[in-house]
Amino acid sequence: MGRIVLNNVTKSFGDVEVIPPLDLTIEDGEFTVFVGPSGCGKSTLLRMIAGLEDLTSGSIEIDGAVATNVPPAQRGLAMVFQSYALYPHMSVRKNIGFPLRMAKMGQAEIKQRVEIAAKSLNLMDYLDRKPADLSGGQRQRVAIGRAIVREPAAFLFDEPLSNLDAALRVGMRLEIGELHERLKTTMIYVTHDQVEAMTMANKIVVLRAGVIEQVGSPLELYHKPQNVFVAGFIGSPKMNIFSGSEAAKLGASTVGIRPEHLDVSMSGGRWKGRVGVAEHLGSDTFIHVSDTSLADTVTVRITGDIAVKHGDTIYLIPQSDQLHKFDPQGMRVAQ
Amino acid sequence: MSDRKLPRLLQTPAVLLLLIWMLIPLGMTLYFSFIRYVLNSLRRPEWTSPSLSNWRGFGNYEFVLNSKDFLFAIQNSLFIVCSILFLTVVLGVLIAVLINKTFPGQGVVRVLLISPFFVMPAVNAVLWINMILDPVLGLQGIAVSGINDVISGLQDAPLVGWFFGLWPQFEPISFRATQTSAYAVITMVTWQWTPFAVLIFMTSLQSEDQQQKEAAVLDGANSWSQFRFLTLPHLARPIAIVVMIQAIYHLSLYAEIEIVSRGNGNKNLPYLIGEFANNNIGAASATGIFAVILANIVAIFLLRMIGKTLME
Repeated sequence: MGRIVLNNVTKSFGDVEVIPPLDLTIEDGEFTVFVGPSGCGKSTLLRMIAGLEDLTSGSIEIDGAVATNVPPAQRGLAMVFQSYALYPHMSVRKNIGFPLRMAKMGQAEIKQRVEIAAKSLNLMDYLDRKPADLSGGQRQRVAIGRAIVREPAAFLFDEPLSNLDAALRVGMRLEIGELHERLKTTMIYVTHDQVEAMTMANKIVVLRAGVIEQVGSPLELYHKPQNVFVAGFIGSPKMNIFSGSEAAKLGASTVGIRPEHLDVSMSGGRWKGRVGVAEHLGSDTFIHVSDTSLADTVTVRITGDIAVKHGDTIYLIPQSDQLHKFDPQGMRVAQ
Repeated sequence: MSDRKLPRLLQTPAVLLLLIWMLIPLGMTLYFSFIRYVLNSLRRPEWTSPSLSNWRGFGNYEFVLNSKDFLFAIQNSLFIVCSILFLTVVLGVLIAVLINKTFPGQGVVRVLLISPFFVMPAVNAVLWINMILDPVLGLQGIAVSGINDVISGLQDAPLVGWFFGLWPQFEPISFRATQTSAYAVITMVTWQWTPFAVLIFMTSLQSEDQQQKEAAVLDGANSWSQFRFLTLPHLARPIAIVVMIQAIYHLSLYAEIEIVSRGNGNKNLPYLIGEFANNNIGAASATGIFAVILANIVAIFLLRMIGKTLME
């Protein structure tokens, strides 16, 4: 109950086309993440699905029915906003119950459904507080509660975690993942954080300037990025990408290799460089290597600890089966 | 210690000045309200200068309470203030919501809407009572006689003439009369103060959270529900501000009342004070103290009421 199909959807603001014709199918029960840099049109796309923005052309189908001109409230979708968008003068109970009240549901049933939602989100102790008296994470949970009481066909999340601190973000990420496992409802999640995308999604849609660069599962995107943009965007720390003579030696116009697929040696190897900053995380060490023939800095990720210091000479050895090769247009070359 | 002393010392002149500004007039009023003090008396010339030897106790208060206009003045003060508050807040919210939308000529409309607020109260009263509400020369008189002319012309028309024959001759209303002068004051002050309410509400509307509205749209709220459950609560605080400022201002209306009917059928407490002050300063001061008490009651009462109904 939540298959969403976009057919040839476009969006222009005046003369500026933010989304050129775009097709996308989101299967029922899927956790789909739209990811891309700021201004890539991912939020606009989400708002178009929600009905908050009109389509310039094309059509949207929800569960097989054309929803292009259906008003937002009747699309059966619930949205969680970045700023939470809670109603500040209403208690948590009234906030969560608001969509039901608008649907003219009876008092008793509203109370019952609000309490079920609140219980599942650990909000029972806060039902009579105002949003201003809650922490960021609690507010976020109230916003999610307001979405789930409606039992929507799909949830839309618009960068819901970007106002939370790092620790809370990890916690909420797990909670939303848990929620998806429990409800099995379609979820569309917009973020610019590729870590959120990788950890939560069944399906990632990478967008740039309104164009879908690649659609696939997180590991598909990690192992087989279709072009240089996706290669650079997915993965942390970022993939090392270089072109020029060293790339030509490997038989491609551009070559990428992830930091975790480079081995190091102090005595000899394929590429020579000088250690810049080494970040020791305990479990891993990130070494930023400069003065290589590849790029300004090359990042290497070593599992465990390694004794290097600033200025040491170091040799990099690529794991040859982990090289990503791209043609002059930036598209992946099959190996 | 010393680092708190200096700021306090520097604040002292301002605080002292404020205290003097407030306490001396209030103290004088209290003092005068307890003594016999008149401006002119041939029979008792010793009453014409304020002195403790003319002590009257609560006599002035008793005199004011028993004077025939006192209760009427309080009633009328409340009637005028509450009517103006109700009208300006309702009109202010409606107009502010209306012009908060973008439309061509927005800037001009906004300036025009604000302009009545720049007219002086006395000028406002003279313009309204003479040029608009006057039963003969004002817009009202012209409109009423115009309608009467049209009707009498239509009475001679074939077919429909009999229908207009049933219509009465309209009479213009004299707004200087005992029964109507309060309405004239309410009308002109409402006209003048609605822009103030619009201005405050408009700035508040512009700070309304758009994502909340979008969330409400997705939650199935129609325009009315959005207004009732989001906009109106958002406006609760500015409404309270408008009500409080206006309540304080309009309890002391004077110019409009003087110009419309010279208090005929339409006195409020300040006007009553003015009448007493023609000679009896003691009674005027006692009325002033009543006015202070009334103003406080009104302010507290109104704020409570608004706070409860809008904040849910």
